[in-house]
Amino acid sequence: MPAPQSDLLQGTLDVLILKALALQELHGMGISRRISQMTNEAFDVKAGSLFPALHRLEQAGWLKSTWGESETNRRAKFYSLTKAGRKQLQAETERWERISLAMGAALGIS
Amino acid sequence: MINRLRALWKNLFHRDQLNHDLDEELRAYVELVSAEKMRSGMAPEEAYRAARREMGGVDQVRQRVRDIRAGALLEKLAQDIRYGMRTLAKDPAFSLVAVSTLALGIGANAAIFSVVDAVLLQPLPYVHPGQLLSISENEPKAGISDAGVSWPAFTVLRDHNRSFSGIAGLATHALTLTGWGEPADVSTVAVTPDFFSLFGTQPLLGRALLPEDGKEGAAPVVVISENLWRSQFGAESDIVGHSISLDHRSFTVTGVMPASFQTPFVGQVDQIWIPLVQDPLFSGWRMRPPQAHWLPAIARLQSGVSIAQAQTELKTIGAGLALQFPAESGWQPSIKSLQQEIVGDVKTPLLMLFCAVSLLLLIACVNIANLLLSRATSRSKEIAVRIALGASRQRIASQLLVESVLLGLLGGIAGMLLAWGSVSAFASTVPPGLPQFHPIRVNGSVLGFALVLSLAASLVFGLAPMLFTARSDPQANLRESSRVGEPRSAQHTRNFLAAVEVAVAMVLLAGAGLLLRSFAHLLSVNPGFETEHLVKAEISLPRYQYAKPEQWIAFTDELMTRLQTQRRLDKSALAVPLPILDNFINLPFTIAGNPPLPQGKADTADYASASPQYFQVIGISLIRGRLFSVDDSAMMRPVALISGALARRYFPNENPLGRHLVFGFPPNGNVTREIVGVVSDIHDVSLTKDPGPMMYVPFAQEPFWGAEIVVRGGLSTADVAAAIRAETHNIDPGVPVTNIETLPQAMHASVAEPRFRTLLLAIFGAIALLLATVGIYGVISFSVTRRTREIGVRMALGATPADLRRLVLGESVKLALFGLTAGIPAALALAHFMSTLLFAVTPADPFTFIGVALLLTMVALAAGFFPARRALRVDPMAALRCE
Repeated sequence: MPAPQSDLLQGTLDVLILKALALQELHGMGISRRISQMTNEAFDVKAGSLFPALHRLEQAGWLKSTWGESETNRRAKFYSLTKAGRKQLQAETERWERISLAMGAALGIS
Repeated sequence: MINRLRALWKNLFHRDQLNHDLDEELRAYVELVSAEKMRSGMAPEEAYRAARREMGGVDQVRQRVRDIRAGALLEKLAQDIRYGMRTLAKDPAFSLVAVSTLALGIGANAAIFSVVDAVLLQPLPYVHPGQLLSISENEPKAGISDAGVSWPAFTVLRDHNRSFSGIAGLATHALTLTGWGEPADVSTVAVTPDFFSLFGTQPLLGRALLPEDGKEGAAPVVVISENLWRSQFGAESDIVGHSISLDHRSFTVTGVMPASFQTPFVGQVDQIWIPLVQDPLFSGWRMRPPQAHWLPAIARLQSGVSIAQAQTELKTIGAGLALQFPAESGWQPSIKSLQQEIVGDVKTPLLMLFCAVSLLLLIACVNIANLLLSRATSRSKEIAVRIALGASRQRIASQLLVESVLLGLLGGIAGMLLAWGSVSAFASTVPPGLPQFHPIRVNGSVLGFALVLSLAASLVFGLAPMLFTARSDPQANLRESSRVGEPRSAQHTRNFLAAVEVAVAMVLLAGAGLLLRSFAHLLSVNPGFETEHLVKAEISLPRYQYAKPEQWIAFTDELMTRLQTQRRLDKSALAVPLPILDNFINLPFTIAGNPPLPQGKADTADYASASPQYFQVIGISLIRGRLFSVDDSAMMRPVALISGALARRYFPNENPLGRHLVFGFPPNGNVTREIVGVVSDIHDVSLTKDPGPMMYVPFAQEPFWGAEIVVRGGLSTADVAAAIRAETHNIDPGVPVTNIETLPQAMHASVAEPRFRTLLLAIFGAIALLLATVGIYGVISFSVTRRTREIGVRMALGATPADLRRLVLGESVKLALFGLTAGIPAALALAHFMSTLLFAVTPADPFTFIGVALLLTMVALAAGFFPARRALRVDPMAALRCE
């Protein structure tokens, strides 16, 4: 089995999932597509990374899930942010701002 | 946190629901993806396949989600445990052998540990027990150690030390309690007034002794033990303030001490404590000269003072004492921790037993390791399949470990039950010499010890199969048949382990053999006197009433006359002390007419005072001269008998008859007595100590306030007891008759301690032998099974049954010989440590070592016998076909 992508950017995937859910609740595939869209298709999250991450975040109390109906009228599990999840997204966003500023300065990008 | 707990709860108890939901979720994902692809124009079939491809392995995704669930580890563990249980249940014979082997090992360890814990590990039940010291006086030049302290030395120590917060002396004997039914001897501790404050134990009722109680002329008071209060005084709550009669003198009860309070060095639980100044005997002993070292003392260190500092101060005080009493300059007070003093004698035998059970557990572990190893080999295919199906090696190793731990815990639980059952039986056979401040039982620390042992043991025996599995090549195992798929190293490991078993069994059996031989020697020692058909009883005269030696003579004369005039009691006599059964009395003597010995040197001999008939009754024969007669009374000139040993050593080339010895029991230390006869030697100290010089005096010339009565004849103990009691009470109803026993019984009790340890070690040795036999049998039997084809080939090539038998038996003898090569030197080294426990046997006793080595070789042959027979029955055609 190849090393899963999420190993590379464990924290990245989590924060992307949180961000993807910031506006609306989504099912698994929706999250995957939304991330791909948000990152200009730089990230293509595979099921093998996505679902363990979703379950982990749910266990951590940042996501909650409900069963609902998909756009194709299929029963699907929808994820949404909890209050703690929103707080976490806030904190992560601030952290990433600091990191990207620092990395940018260090690498002379900006 | 709450979230995680809730998740854990859900994961553990709603697993099915969760798994169902996960499947549903993943299915939805695939359908959504394929719907998307269809929207972009793909054919349904193709879209579905593409979606599946994008998804990756469903099982892998599912497993990865499960792995991150809270409690995933627990779940895996539960799986492993379930699987392990199934594996154990599938092979009940194996599980039974392994669990019972381990149960024997753990059980024996837990049982011995319960004794070690009660005797050696738990602190003495006093406040700050580490501060308590035992004080004794030693005379290194004369080889005397652990004697009591002389009264002058005690007072100097008490008044001039700066190291102790308190110091107390205690002397023990028995007083007669009357007025409460049958007169009874009660174990009495005469103590100096600081005694109770030293230990800090609070009385149950009333008060303990106060300093005023120890003053000269104070009213006589007594503190009684809870047990005596319950057994003798009906636990009456108003006992405090009552008077009780001790040796016909009235003492006021001031308090009751709880049963948990035990006097050091005094085994009894029924006891009383009185101030030393009130004691009919010991109060007078305070007047004795400084040569009498009679008072054991206990002190408590002041906090902040070390034992070393106290020792230094004691040296200074000792030097001062030497100046004050020049004749005693060789004596030196010394201190030891109280715990050390109390457990000193039993430490070696206990540690030896502890080593023995540890070795036993080692054999048990090795045995199980071998069983597991054999099984791992036959399971190699199963394991290879599991690895091929994607189980990680780590997972398989952890599963094997769980199996071992399961075995370990099952064995541990069975062992604890075994220990729990045996300890109560065991505690009742413990010899009386064992200090028992704490009851011997399976308590929390014993259970904890057994648990740790079980886990440690499961790691030890689980290691071998784990390593083996980790190294083995699953492809090779799958490809090749299970018969050939074993690396040579596994066979080597099994052989090595079996040899280790033999080696350890050799050590244990040699130890057991040495003790058995010692004990047999001990039992075959001729004590020099007869014990058959002899009954003894002890009388002790109340000392306030019978204060004068004339009264003692009058009473015993009267009693002897009354007994000897009865037809079946005519062979009665009395003596103090009886050999072996009583403490011996060793006294210095000088030979009149010989030049005085240099300062600080003295000849000594053991001493006994006996009635004229004693020698015939107990079977000591006259070598020359005459025995005592009724004419050797207090009025007549003092006479003495000496033993053959004394005659040979001190009168080598002359006739001792008519010569004079100067000796006597204090205070009459310097009486000149004529030697009138020489009698045969006896073991008077113990069976293990060779007969030394002895001197006897007539009871009428050297009476005691009490005596041992011995009666020869076919009468039962009860009859003799009744007769002696009746005659004694006819003279005085207040005189107690106690310690009635037949001499064989008493002698039996005198070897209780060596019997106990010999029995235990013999049991452990037998278990070790059994386990080693099973071990060798297992290895050889397994080897024959695995070599069926080889045996078939050999047969086909014309090997005779004798050849095959030699092949199999040779293998098992080889195991035994390898084991013995390592075991004999190890046993020799260990035997050296137990040399103090041996009697008339050298640690390297060739008889024992050759015997045990032969025994183990025979056992190895026997263990190989059945596998060899099986080898002979191999049908060569079938053996060759079955591959």
